[in-house]
Amino acid sequence: MSAIAHEVEVLDPIGLHARPASQIVKLVKESGLTITIGREGEEFVKANSALMLMSLKIKTGEKLTLQIETED
Amino acid sequence: MSVAQGTVLSGLGVGLNSAVGEVHIVKPQAPLPEWTKSSKSVDEERAALKTAISNVSENLDALGVRAGGTSAEIFEALKFLLEDEELFEVAEGNLDDGWTAGAAYGMAVNTFAEILGGDPDFDERVKDLQDLSRRVQADLAGIEMALTLPEIGRYVLVGDDFSPADTAQFTKAVVGVITLKGGPTSHTAIICRSRSIPAVVSCGAAADLENGDTVLVDPVGDRVVFGGDETLATKAIEFVALNEEPVIPVRANIGTLADAEGATAETKAEGVGLFRTELLYLSANTAPSIDDQVASYSAILAAAPAGPIVVRTIDAGSDKPVPFLNMPHEENPSLGVRGYRLIQDHREFIEDQLKSLELARVATGREVWVMAPMIATVGEAKAFADLARSIGGYKVGVMVETPSIAAMIEQLEGVVDFVSVGTNDLSQYLFAADRMNPSLGALLNHWQPGLIRTLARIADGGKKAGISVGVCGESASDPAFAVVLAGLGITSVSVSKSQVTVVRNALSSLDLGACKEIANKVLAATSPEAAKAAALDALSQL
Repeated sequence: MSAIAHEVEVLDPIGLHARPASQIVKLVKESGLTITIGREGEEFVKANSALMLMSLKIKTGEKLTLQIETED
Repeated sequence: MSVAQGTVLSGLGVGLNSAVGEVHIVKPQAPLPEWTKSSKSVDEERAALKTAISNVSENLDALGVRAGGTSAEIFEALKFLLEDEELFEVAEGNLDDGWTAGAAYGMAVNTFAEILGGDPDFDERVKDLQDLSRRVQADLAGIEMALTLPEIGRYVLVGDDFSPADTAQFTKAVVGVITLKGGPTSHTAIICRSRSIPAVVSCGAAADLENGDTVLVDPVGDRVVFGGDETLATKAIEFVALNEEPVIPVRANIGTLADAEGATAETKAEGVGLFRTELLYLSANTAPSIDDQVASYSAILAAAPAGPIVVRTIDAGSDKPVPFLNMPHEENPSLGVRGYRLIQDHREFIEDQLKSLELARVATGREVWVMAPMIATVGEAKAFADLARSIGGYKVGVMVETPSIAAMIEQLEGVVDFVSVGTNDLSQYLFAADRMNPSLGALLNHWQPGLIRTLARIADGGKKAGISVGVCGESASDPAFAVVLAGLGITSVSVSKSQVTVVRNALSSLDLGACKEIANKVLAATSPEAAKAAALDALSQL
């Protein structure tokens, strides 16, 4: 069990809103992986919940870190 | 109780056409149950919650299919919120604490609403969440949430009053509308008038109607006839335009560029009698720059029908808040800081609006008049007039909505160039009857003698002061009433685009002397029914 971390930037002009958040959740659920997301140095949230993603109140241009737990 | 064939139920008519249809009663939605601890097991409540969520989800699917296109994506996004895993986990925590399924879900939604709250970007989503929460709770309680209206057939909807959300769901099968409460300026009346759906509002006797009854909705006769057919419908007075021009100018009310273009393309309106500017600001989160305002105003002024354009400065209050003005909540918004009163805290904003209008006026070369809403004293009228004249070269006026300024029109001589009467708000303040209260609709009937006599005094004061007096409220949309207004000495009327032609025809069918005779007969009446009957009777003898 290891974790892969990857940095991403939010490009959506209105930030991470309901629709983009639900699209991410859809992909996460399809992948079957456990993925967490958040700002470096803050608490991460599970990416299987659009509401949790929205609660990060992420604005355009912010950098986020994505962590994928994997056994591969 | 059933109603005998031919029984007449009186109300206030909206529209000029009649309709026959089958009664479809819309019951007011039962209140959602209080949040309580459950007597059932956590497992039972969890299963109930899962079922309710999947029922609401199916319902959203159906709405999405019906809406089609990009709206379908919105329903898809709503489903993600509804079925959110973390939300369900929080709700499960509440179930473990012993709450019922509805309470557990409602509280979970509140938890997230609190986390997301305070960020204007998420305001709409929080509203969506709360709406989903109500749907889930209603499903659990077995309460019908949405209006389910037939798609085919000919139905007359009967209900207390209808909200904007209800009227948005009216299908093609809705041929007529009856409300037990709500007046001629209610949301239902305004929507029915603009969509040409015959309606009778404030019709308390309609409470006795039952599903399946056949009724005639006869707005011209201000009545509903049980079992009646079209042959019983009261004929609207057919005004035949005899003159090229109406006795007083008929202008158009607009709020958007589309309204301005429509009024020009579809009507013979002589300019604009009321340009409501707040629509440019109500959806803005930050104050639009002067450049942006000039661009919007220039486009609208250029597109407006030929003639003067009367622009009302912002008419917002805590019930109609402008996000960037940060208006505090008020107990009594219609009696609070609204309209011109905003100058106390937002002088710069009103000055910017006037500057933008001046730049747009110069850029388009149009004749612009500006007026301020919610003026109560001559001093306020003077302060606004001085401010406006220091900024631009337009004619300057004020709205007459408060009884206090209605008593002081003569004293506005030399202060303003014109006044415009907003009869909806004037009625509300004159009769101390909240426009939003559906039980008070009958007091807001524009045939109320108290209103008509006040209008006569305003017109008289304007004549003595040498200032023109327009009327821009819903009342002027009633062609017979427009004739009375001209007879009282009102010098122009302004109506929504859809009513311009019919009001123009009425005012082109007779001369000013005839209007005065009719107005005098109406002034003798002491009840709204008698006032209207006097006008219609006199008109039919022309």
